[in-house]
Amino acid sequence: MEKDKKKSENPLKVNRRHFFSQLSVGIGSLALGSLLIPDLFKGVTSERLTHPLGVAHFAPKAKRVIYLFQAGAPSQLETFDYKPTLRKRMGEDLPESIRNGQRLTGMTANQDKFPLMPPAVDFKQHGESGTWVSDFFPHTAKIADEITVVRSMHTEAINHDPAITFFQTGSQISGRPSMGSWLSYGLGSENKNLPSFVVLTSRGKGNSQGLYSKLWSSGFLDSKHQGVLLRSGKDPVLYLNDPEGISRSDKRHLLDQVSSLNKLHHAETGDDEIESRIAQYEMAYRMQMSVPDVMDISKEPESIIKLYGEDCQVPGTYAANALQARRLAENGVRFIQLYHQGWDQHGNLPNEMAGQAKDVDQASAALVLDLKQRGMLEDTLVIWGGEFGRGNYCQGKFDPTNYGRDHHPRAFSIWMAGGGIKPGLNYGKTDEFGYNVVENPVHINDFHATLMHTLGLDHEQLTYKYQGRRFRLTDVAGNVIKDLLT
Amino acid sequence: MAVENKRIWVDYTVFGLSIFLVFCLLFESYIELPNLVAWIGRWHPLVLHFPIVLLLVAIYLGFRGKDIPYNLRVVATIATLVTAISGFFLGTENTPKGDLLFWHEWLGSTLALAVVLWYWLDGLQLRKNIYSKALQILIIVLIGFTGHYGGLITHGEEFLALPKEKRQKKIPQNPLIYQDVVGRILEENCVSCHNPNKKKGELLMTNLEGLLKGGEVGNTVVPGDSEKSEIIRRLHLSHENEEHMPPDDKKPLNDNEIKILERWIALGASDTIRLNHLPKTETLGVLVKVMMEPDPMKKWALLPKVADSTILNLSSDYINITRVASNSDAIKVNVFLSPNHSQRSITNLARISSNIVELDLSGIPVGLPEMDMISSCANLEWLELDRTSITDEELDKLKGLEKLRLLKIYETNVTAKSILVFKSLSNLKSLYLWRTGIESKALDEFIKERPDLDVDVGIEKKVESFVVVLDSIPKT
Repeated sequence: MEKDKKKSENPLKVNRRHFFSQLSVGIGSLALGSLLIPDLFKGVTSERLTHPLGVAHFAPKAKRVIYLFQAGAPSQLETFDYKPTLRKRMGEDLPESIRNGQRLTGMTANQDKFPLMPPAVDFKQHGESGTWVSDFFPHTAKIADEITVVRSMHTEAINHDPAITFFQTGSQISGRPSMGSWLSYGLGSENKNLPSFVVLTSRGKGNSQGLYSKLWSSGFLDSKHQGVLLRSGKDPVLYLNDPEGISRSDKRHLLDQVSSLNKLHHAETGDDEIESRIAQYEMAYRMQMSVPDVMDISKEPESIIKLYGEDCQVPGTYAANALQARRLAENGVRFIQLYHQGWDQHGNLPNEMAGQAKDVDQASAALVLDLKQRGMLEDTLVIWGGEFGRGNYCQGKFDPTNYGRDHHPRAFSIWMAGGGIKPGLNYGKTDEFGYNVVENPVHINDFHATLMHTLGLDHEQLTYKYQGRRFRLTDVAGNVIKDLLT
Repeated sequence: MAVENKRIWVDYTVFGLSIFLVFCLLFESYIELPNLVAWIGRWHPLVLHFPIVLLLVAIYLGFRGKDIPYNLRVVATIATLVTAISGFFLGTENTPKGDLLFWHEWLGSTLALAVVLWYWLDGLQLRKNIYSKALQILIIVLIGFTGHYGGLITHGEEFLALPKEKRQKKIPQNPLIYQDVVGRILEENCVSCHNPNKKKGELLMTNLEGLLKGGEVGNTVVPGDSEKSEIIRRLHLSHENEEHMPPDDKKPLNDNEIKILERWIALGASDTIRLNHLPKTETLGVLVKVMMEPDPMKKWALLPKVADSTILNLSSDYINITRVASNSDAIKVNVFLSPNHSQRSITNLARISSNIVELDLSGIPVGLPEMDMISSCANLEWLELDRTSITDEELDKLKGLEKLRLLKIYETNVTAKSILVFKSLSNLKSLYLWRTGIESKALDEFIKERPDLDVDVGIEKKVESFVVVLDSIPKT
């Protein structure tokens, strides 16, 4: 890789650093010859890149990922982390021994009291696994034995943007490649007619936070690994369809001409991005055929429509995206990222969460069931969760029927299903206040390492050299959580 | 006269050491050694090489009919006695003694006393005597056996065994966790230093009592609390740490093995628990199953080589052919429907048929020629034929695919006749066949016959109706 890059660099574009580094090698080799440095003439050895790109490092359990991202951060205390203590000690101030200096956002930092707030919804245990699920999620409760709930996730970020960027890229500061891009870079695409990283967004009625395309950006990786946002409605990809009067063969001819010009330019400058662009034009050409076919749900039988809920016929809803996600997975898309906005309940939590849950509950459960009957749960990893958790104390006026919860990084819950993850497991524990993790903590880096492991990638081996150092999705941390694996 | 005097002192020394050795042997169980004396025992492995060489040289000279120099005789004899005594000291560190140590000790002592006898006979100028010769032969035999047992103690009983076949003995279907799994991990990694003959750190790891009793440090295994268990603590130390086990030069345990020991201890370190006693979500069960399943990468190591160029030639925009993992010749193939799909593109895969372990033909027109290609994929483990036009006639071709682990044929027209094919697939673990022509009664019987096989006939009616009826978003 590195060698190829060197070769393709334009000889005229030598900068000061290149000049000096090459000069020093020149002088060094004159002075010392190969006597003192026997490896001098062996060229650049890529000592780290022992695995070729585009192939798993070891036999994978999962081949693709469907990530049902709940943007805005749903409260763990109203979803999967049942804490009866909060009811018992309702209204009492959060003990400082529990908060233990946790920094708060500007929204509650100035509150003089932090009264404990119990969930406005009941919990029940479901399935053989006895998984606690709140009554907001009756459908998810039905798949309790298919999913693994991790109640001990934790992060460092306390605000949406750094937190979601952390989840997507492994760093709170934007600019790194998204995990879908890392997987595309590491594993290549399964179907050359579709992008290997696809993004679908939907929005609930709850308080929303913005989504930015940086979340699915390929960062410093080749731009062909970037996530492709499929829009709802007639044109899933903008400008994909040919204008009227242009036939497919005209288009072919046009592309060939443009491509030959581009190749000329590439030979001149050696800019890798030109090659990416050529590949993207070709991909778009094939996507003209493949995307409308994949996105067309009219052939789905009535029973499937009913399973996901009638809502799935309305483009742009979460249910429609969930069904779409299954179809994309069937067609070999490696990483399908859904975002459902509206989970930022700083106030009016009971009402808003009930609405948000209605948006996603049935379709999420239906997706898991549908994948299961297709045997796709054997090699597709489904993940449901937000970017952090929410505090156990009331934000704003104390009213058990209409309260808010502020951001909370120290503990939150997500669930995963299929793809080499043990079904029906309850992993990790929080204290009785649902504030701190007391057993089996899972950091975002660990989550990334585990996810990559199920896909047959060693998170320490998949690197990319940029600005003088090698980067990984997990950077310098992360442990595979073996307990979660089958 | 001065020479005579010296010789008498040498005789006294030999006599004294012999008496001391005999005394030690007789009163072994009453002796408790001061630390410093016990420490002398540690020199045994160093000292023992001298008498062996000296005795062999001396006896060689004797056989050749040459005079054995007096000094050689003296040094050899005293070295033998010192070795025997230091060996005795070292032996007291191990109680109870194993078979090997027992024999080594008594053979070594006999050897030492035989050497003293020989020294004495030689002193009486009886070296040409037939008894003296017999004694020399006895000494050589004793050196051989003593050395042999000593070697086995140091290097492990298996050290001289003929190279065994690398294949490990298979873990039985429903293993006893302690005996078949934990025992095996200990056997492979620990027992060579912690056995009755060589009880490093006073720790015996050949049976559960030994583990529970612990060694010098104690708490080797604390049932129910892996964190307090010394064995787990030491496994987790960094490799540079002196206390890390197994020590430096030995292969460390892998993550899986450590986790198994950890969970087994956490669950109470029982020797009666079996795999099927564990709840489904228990990590230990999964880890044990991983150990039972051969590593796929090893399993595929014997596949014929495939060149990257072959893969490239057979691939197209609609046929994705990749290695399952780098450095592996196992191949997976995904076929997507191309606007100008041709049968040839699939039948051409016959060139790499024995390498294909996964094949996805979902929704692709599949007829008998394609099925012929599939039936030649002897190593096929994963096959997706869902949403194709196949019938019983085509499916029949799958007979003989013994390695097939997963088969998807939902939304096809296969009927109950195909159950015979399923029956012939002995390794099949997952079968997806909802929306097929297989009526439920024949299928139910088959499912009962094969409890190890997961047959998916669609979403459970109860769950489906719940999900459908309770449409969470009311129509507006």
